[in-house]
Parts: sequence; C-alpha cells; structure tokens
Amino acid sequence: MRPTLLQGHERALTQIKYNRDGDIIFSTAKDQHICAWFAHNGERLGTYHGHQGALWTVDVDPTSTIIASGAADNTVRLWDIRSGKCLKVWDFNTAVKRVEFNEDGTQLLAVTEKRMGFLGTIVVLDINLDVEAEQSDEKAMTITCEDAKATVAGWSYMSKYIIAGHEDGTISQYDAKTGEQLDNTQVHEVDTVITDLQWSSDRTYFITAGKDKTAKLVNARDLEVMKTYVADTPLNSASITPKKDFVILGGGQAAMDVTTTSTRQGKFEARFYHKIFEEEIGRVRGHFGPLNTVAVDPTGKGYASGGEDGYVRVHQFDKAYFDFTYEVERQAKAQGQM
Amino acid sequence: EDADRGASADLAVVEHRRRLLMEWLAWREQMEEEVREERIELGLPLDPIEGLLKKSEQPEGDEEVIEIE
Repeated sequence: MRPTLLQGHERALTQIKYNRDGDIIFSTAKDQHICAWFAHNGERLGTYHGHQGALWTVDVDPTSTIIASGAADNTVRLWDIRSGKCLKVWDFNTAVKRVEFNEDGTQLLAVTEKRMGFLGTIVVLDINLDVEAEQSDEKAMTITCEDAKATVAGWSYMSKYIIAGHEDGTISQYDAKTGEQLDNTQVHEVDTVITDLQWSSDRTYFITAGKDKTAKLVNARDLEVMKTYVADTPLNSASITPKKDFVILGGGQAAMDVTTTSTRQGKFEARFYHKIFEEEIGRVRGHFGPLNTVAVDPTGKGYASGGEDGYVRVHQFDKAYFDFTYEVERQAKAQGQM
Repeated sequence: EDADRGASADLAVVEHRRRLLMEWLAWREQMEEEVREERIELGLPLDPIEGLLKKSEQPEGDEEVIEIE
C-alpha cells in the first residue's frame, strides 16, 4: 500500500472524513482551516477559511453538498462544499469537539466542551441541505451531560438514538427525539477517555477508541460490547472497514509521555484487526507522531490517517488486502453462508 | 507427538473462529431483518441515502458521464 501524502496543514490533524462516494476527503487540524482533497490523487480541492481557533471536527452530509465544522472558537459552521462559502455560524459558550450529520442529513449534532461554569452538552441543530436556504438559528434540542462530559457522539440507524462516549469511559444512549437518557454503560476502563466513535455503514453498531489501549465494537441498540481489540498504546481513533471484516485503529504515545521519540517507541502505526476474530493482522507505518484520526473510504477502496505530525496519509488498498481471508471465511463463502 | 499436539491446537483455533463467524453472521441477519421491519413500520425508506440522492439529482437533469481509463 503506497500512500499519498497530503501536505496542507501546518499543525496536528484532528479529524478526517470521506464523503459517501469516497472520492473527497475532508480534514481538520489545529491550524484553523478545513482542507478538501481528491482521494485518488491527493490534489487539494479547496480550503475553508473563517474559524478563529483550532478546528476539532468536520463532517460531510450524505449528498456531499454541505460540510459542518466545530472549533475552539466556540462555533459550529456550515459550508457550501462547491463554492467554499460559509453558510451559517452558530455560537456556543465553549469549544465544539465533535459534529455529525444524521443518516439523511436533516440534523446535525454538536458536542460542546465542559469549562468553568458550563457543563458539556450535546446540541442538535436542524439542517437544510439547500445551500440557498436560510438555516434555523434555534437549537432543536440540548442534552446536558451532568456527570461526565461527552467527548464524542453520533447518530444511530433511523436517527433513533444519539450515542455518546464520555471522558469517564462510559457510553450513553439517548432517545434522539426527546433527549432522554435511556442507558449508560461502562464500556472502557473507569475514568479513561473515549477518544473516538465511528459507525458501521448501517449504523446499527459502532466502534469506540479509548485511552485504555482498547477499541470496542458495540451494539447501538443495547450497548452490548460485542468485540474488544487490545492494543499496546493509547488509542485516538478507530474505524470499521466496509467490504472486508476489519477494523483500523490509530494512536500512539505523545512525545512528551515517552522517554525517546523514536517512531518505534511511540508506536505510530495504523493497526488492522479482524473485526470478528479480534486478532491483529497487520500494521502500517509512516507517521512521525501519534495517529490522531483514521477514516475509511465508505466504498471500501482505501483509508486515510491523520497524525500529530501534521500529515494526512491516504492509502489505496491493494490486491493482497482484498485477498486476505481466513480459512473459515473461505469455507463459509463456498457454502453460501456469507 | 509434537506435530499432533500442534495440529489439534490448530483445529481448536479454527473451530473457535468458525463459531465466532457463525455467531456474527446470525446476528447480522437478525439485526438487518429487524431494522428492515422497523423502517417499513415507520414508513422510512429502506435505504435512507438512496432516496435523498434521487431527490437531489432530479432538478439537475443532464447526466454526468465520467470516463474511466
């Protein structure tokens, strides 16, 4: 897998997102602008300027019309992908750490930071995917996290639940219509931060990454932990691959936390695990710092990682990747069971 | 004797994987069916995204052809 290096950010990457067709990659970093790239050749399609602080998060709607972003300047912004125009700014009391569109792009959630005097919240905004339309100023719903703040959140299948990962290692399930908390479960080790939450393509289950060096595959309906992937370094990100039953994990110890900064010591590798068998099957090296974000092309053709080193590395999966199967998988396929 | 022991250990691993795979496939099948029923019941499109794309493509009219070399 020969990677394409995307050079356009001057600071650490914070999130990467592919659009639904897998041909455009959006990236955010601490350097205050969003970049859009062509996935197949790494050419930069454009940048989106306007935020006045580090960018923490980006998402693209399912029709690839609008992107949403959240930043340390306490705003959520909507952008017209094509023209680069900022369509809307919503102000909050604290930084916005995560945004995500629901499955049909009619609503956006935003996770806000907890800070002196302000509890962490999950805010829902109504979205109009027409770039000419006026966006509503009102917040459709606010969920306040009284106990541990949410660090990540997303929408389940049918926009039925909002699922949040918290700083204390628990996961919450909320009714996405009413905001009522339905469940809260300790999924990662007590008082370890959940750093990422990404969905399966049908949003019936998701993967979380944790500072406790594990990633968990969780059923969105009952929050049952179905699989656990054990790594040897704190994890910042985890993603589920379509087509193949793999998951990709990214992490690594920050330079200030290790005695030497050699890439081997820091374990700055993307790790591939078999989703069902929980076994590690391979690693991809290349970054000079921890991997802050990994994202998989929804069409299954490749993946991208973003590092503390300021680089995005885009990989197209090769034949060996698609050919890799366990004997039991080959047998099940031959018998028409999968 | 060592080779035999290795072989039976391998067999146990393979059987374990087979069980995990069958459990997973059964869960997926059940989940997909239940979500499908739930969507029909609520009058939601089976694929939330396909419906959206048709809607947004209609006004454009002319079809874009992308040539792949």
